Parts: sequence; structure tokens; C-alpha cells
Amino acid sequence: MIRQKVNPKYLILKLIRLAISYALLIIVAAFAVFPIYYIIITSLSPIPTLASVSLKSLIPTTVTLEAYNGILFHEPFLLWLRNSLILASGTVAISVIVAFVSGLGLSRLNISMKKVLIITIYVMTFFPFTVTVIPLYLMFSTLHLVNTYYGLIIAYSGGNSVFGAYLVKIFLDNIPRDYEEAAMIDGLSRFGAFTRILLPMSKPIIAFVSLLSFMGAYTDYALANVFISSGNMWTLTLGMYYLAITNRSTLYNVFAAFSVLMGIPIFIIFIVFQKYLTKVYSLSGTK
Amino acid sequence: MNEHKLSNYFYILPIVALILFLFMYPVAYAIYISFTNFSLYHFFKYSLVGFQNYVLVLTSHTFLHILGNTALWTVGSLVPMMALGYLMALVLNQKDIRGKRLFFTLMLFPWAFPAYISLLVWLGMWNYEYGVVNKIIGLIHLAPINWLTYPDTAWIALILTNVWLSFPYYTAIFLSSLQSIPTELYEAAEVDGASMWQKFGRITLPMMKTSISFVGISGFIFTWNNFYPIYLLTGGGPGESTNILIVYAYQEAFAYNLYDIAAAYSTISTIILAIMAIIMLKITHVLEVVS
Repeated sequence: MIRQKVNPKYLILKLIRLAISYALLIIVAAFAVFPIYYIIITSLSPIPTLASVSLKSLIPTTVTLEAYNGILFHEPFLLWLRNSLILASGTVAISVIVAFVSGLGLSRLNISMKKVLIITIYVMTFFPFTVTVIPLYLMFSTLHLVNTYYGLIIAYSGGNSVFGAYLVKIFLDNIPRDYEEAAMIDGLSRFGAFTRILLPMSKPIIAFVSLLSFMGAYTDYALANVFISSGNMWTLTLGMYYLAITNRSTLYNVFAAFSVLMGIPIFIIFIVFQKYLTKVYSLSGTK
Repeated sequence: MNEHKLSNYFYILPIVALILFLFMYPVAYAIYISFTNFSLYHFFKYSLVGFQNYVLVLTSHTFLHILGNTALWTVGSLVPMMALGYLMALVLNQKDIRGKRLFFTLMLFPWAFPAYISLLVWLGMWNYEYGVVNKIIGLIHLAPINWLTYPDTAWIALILTNVWLSFPYYTAIFLSSLQSIPTELYEAAEVDGASMWQKFGRITLPMMKTSISFVGISGFIFTWNNFYPIYLLTGGGPGESTNILIVYAYQEAFAYNLYDIAAAYSTISTIILAIMAIIMLKITHVLEVVS
């Protein structure tokens, strides 16, 4: 009986609201997905140039891996990939170690620098990388670090470690001290308690710092462009810039296959861990 | 006890070293360069020239033009991307929407794919002769547009691309702060017979004020210094009509080897950004609430 009291006016309003909501969701989702869909479809088609991309080719009729053959075996993709992976994994290694150790210090130990460090990190975000890139280039050329993996790894590790340390500190602040204190009573040294107890508990934040620093190195063009001059040191981003902008005769499906091979692994990691990643991103205030 | 304390500092030694070596020293060095005539013409023998570079930059038309562009770029992309992000968070937060998880995941696509690659994909999509954007507008019988060669359309293309890149971030953040508003507040309002708009204006907006300001200020700083969209899509062109401070500084340094001018541009840009950020933080009281 009570149900019949529902005013038909409200029912209509509700239907209108739902109709608008679904329309918006579908339009915005299509807008969001389209470029990714487009580049995957293009990579699987026999399209020789951008000129022959038509709207019809958005719904593929023939699927071919020709473009992947082209990018993997007719361009130095694997060399660029190797270089990018060396740089990215070096950056991850340094950033994670420095971030964890300093995060520990900042969260657990009596250090009079905490506030200074946090302010420094915030202020660092105001500075565009163009400020530091010229001095770094000059410094690194006197140290013979230009055109080496080390130079770029060090350059990438800076910002990532500092920011990572801040994230680790916030994360550890939420873990009660009882855990490591109990372990210390059981006879572990303080450092032992940190590595045996807190390190395993920090897995999620360490994974996040790894992803951030991996992405930073893996998708950097601006620093690599300045620090690398020899062709066999080229990274994926430099190779991609060359194929997409400098060398306009590149087959478009080959460029698409490049994008897919370079981007999809990251994309899959992000989508699989989206719940966790969006949570940490919203805590840390980064994009 | 003292020794114990000293060992504490070993933990932060690496980070302090990195900050000094990779941030403090380079920043000081850059400021120093901005007071010299260090460029390709004076590469090995450069000297201090006082404020000459600053006078040169601050009195030039190029600087004012590029500063205006930077403001347009920052506000022009931040407002629509935050608005779209917020709108989609509100839509997704309704109780009676089905398939939320799926729609949300689809909307995360632009954020999940590396931005550097997406930008080069968009560059192909905006292409005049072959780009898929012109093919789509051709469906409604619009003539193809040479997007990136006219200032007005270049701005539209840049901002649309940037909105695509960043709105998912705002949707995700706003959705999580919408979900943290206690549902009792809405239930109480419903008992009092509040309408949808009243609930939004009296509960949702005030509860999200801090989160919106904090995200907005961080987004402002990020967008002001966002290098790749403009560098890759237009390179600041046509002419300098879409150039922003950070891209211009990079080009001055590495395309024209004018390190002194580039350093002055970077320093001025940082000072302006820092002043604005401090004013915004003061007005919104964000830091007091967050810390």
C-alpha cells in the first residue's frame, strides 16, 4: 500500500536522470576508449600508410601481424627496448632502496629533518625539469656520465627516490610500532626488525614506487634527448619520436604496433591493479 | 645514546645526498647561469652580466605572449578536465547505476596508457589529410580542418587532448572522496525532504571543498609544467602561438643553445608559479587542513 504513494512525477524524473546518466557514461567511455581501440585495430591491419586509414578500417575484416613483424625485425625496436629496460630497472632499483631506507628513517627514527624534507618535496614540484636539466648536463659531462646508462639512471632516480621516500613514510606511519618492537624483544636488531618485519609489510607501497619510477624512466623523452647522442643508446621514446615525427615515411601500422608493444604491458598492469593504484594515487596527490 | 642518534642519520644520508646533488646544486647553478651570458657564442668563456637576461626577457613581447599562453593552457585545460572528472564521478556515484565497475574501468583507459605514446597517437589523429578526427567530422558533412596549423584550432586540439589525458584522474579521486561522505547525512536530508539539488549544494559540495581545492592546486602546478602535450603536438606553433614557458625554455636551451635565456625563463616561470601556488594555498587553507 505504501508503495503506491510514489508520485509518478518522481518516477519520470528518475527515468530522465537515469537516461541522461547512461548517455553520458556511454559517450565519455567511448571518448576515453577510442584512441586506444583505434591504435590496436590499426596495428592489426595491413594499412600501409596513414592515408589509407578509413572509417571502415575501424571494424577490422582482416587481421594480420605484418606490422608487428615490421617493428620487431625491420626496426631496431629490440635494441631500444633493451636500453629502455636497462634504464628503467636501474632507476627502479635505486629509487626503491633509497625510498625505503629514507622512508624508514623519516617514519620511525628521531630525525630533526622531517618537516624540512616534506617542504622540500613540495617545493620541488614547482620547479620544471628545464631548470635542472642544463646544470645536470654540464655536471654530468665533466663527470663523463653523458651518453652512459649511469648518468640517466642517476638523473631519473633523484625525483623518484625523494617522492618515493615521502610515500613510504606516509605508508609506514600507518603501521603500529608494536610489530617491530615485538620482534626486537624476540632478539632481532633494529635494522633486522626493519628488514624482516616492515619490509614484507611494505610490499604494496614498494610496488607503487617501483611502478612510478619505472614509468618515469620508461616514458621520458626530454632528458634522454639531451643526455644520449649515440644511436645504439637510443631508448623506445627516442625511437618512437623518430618514427612518428622525424621520419614521416614510417608505415602507420608499424607505428601503431610500436605503440601497442610499448604501451599495452603498462596498460594491463594499471587496469589489473586499478583499485589499489587509484587509492594510492588519490592519497599522494600525483597524476 | 648520542651514537644511537647519529646512526639515525645514516638512513636519510642517501636522500639528502640526492637532493643536494640532483636538485639544490642544479637549481643554484641554473640561477647562476641566468645571470651570465652562457650560450653557444660564449660556451667556454662566459661571464656575469647582472640582470641583463631578465631585463631582456621581461621587456620582450614574446615573454608576455608566452606567459598569457601558459595561463590559458593551465586554466583552459584544468577547468574542463576537473569539471568532466567531477561530473563523471557524480554520475558513477549514483546508487541505481548498473555496470559502474565496467564504465569506471573504461574511463581509466587514458590514464592507464603511457601519456607519451597517447600523445603521438593523437598527433596522427589530428592530421589534416589522413587523421581520423577529420574523417569522423566528415560523417556529419563538415569540411576537414587543418587543426594544428591555426592558433584557434590548435588550442582546441591541445585542450581536448589534455582533457582526454587527465579527466580519469579527477574522476577517480573525486569518486573516492564522494564515497567517503557518510551516507547518514543524505538519509537525514531525505527525511527532511531535501531535493537532489539541495543535497548536492548543502552536503556534497561543502564536504568536498578541501579535496577539490587540494586536487585543483596540485593540478594547476602539474599543468603549468606539463611539457609533453605541447612539445609533441604543436611544438609551440604555429609561430609561438601555443608555446608555454616550459616548452619555450627547453627549445631555447636545446634547439638554439641559448642557455642563459632558457635559465632566466625557467627561473621566472618557477617564481610566478610559486607565488600563485602560495596565494592559492593561503586562500583555501588547504595545508592547515591536510597537515
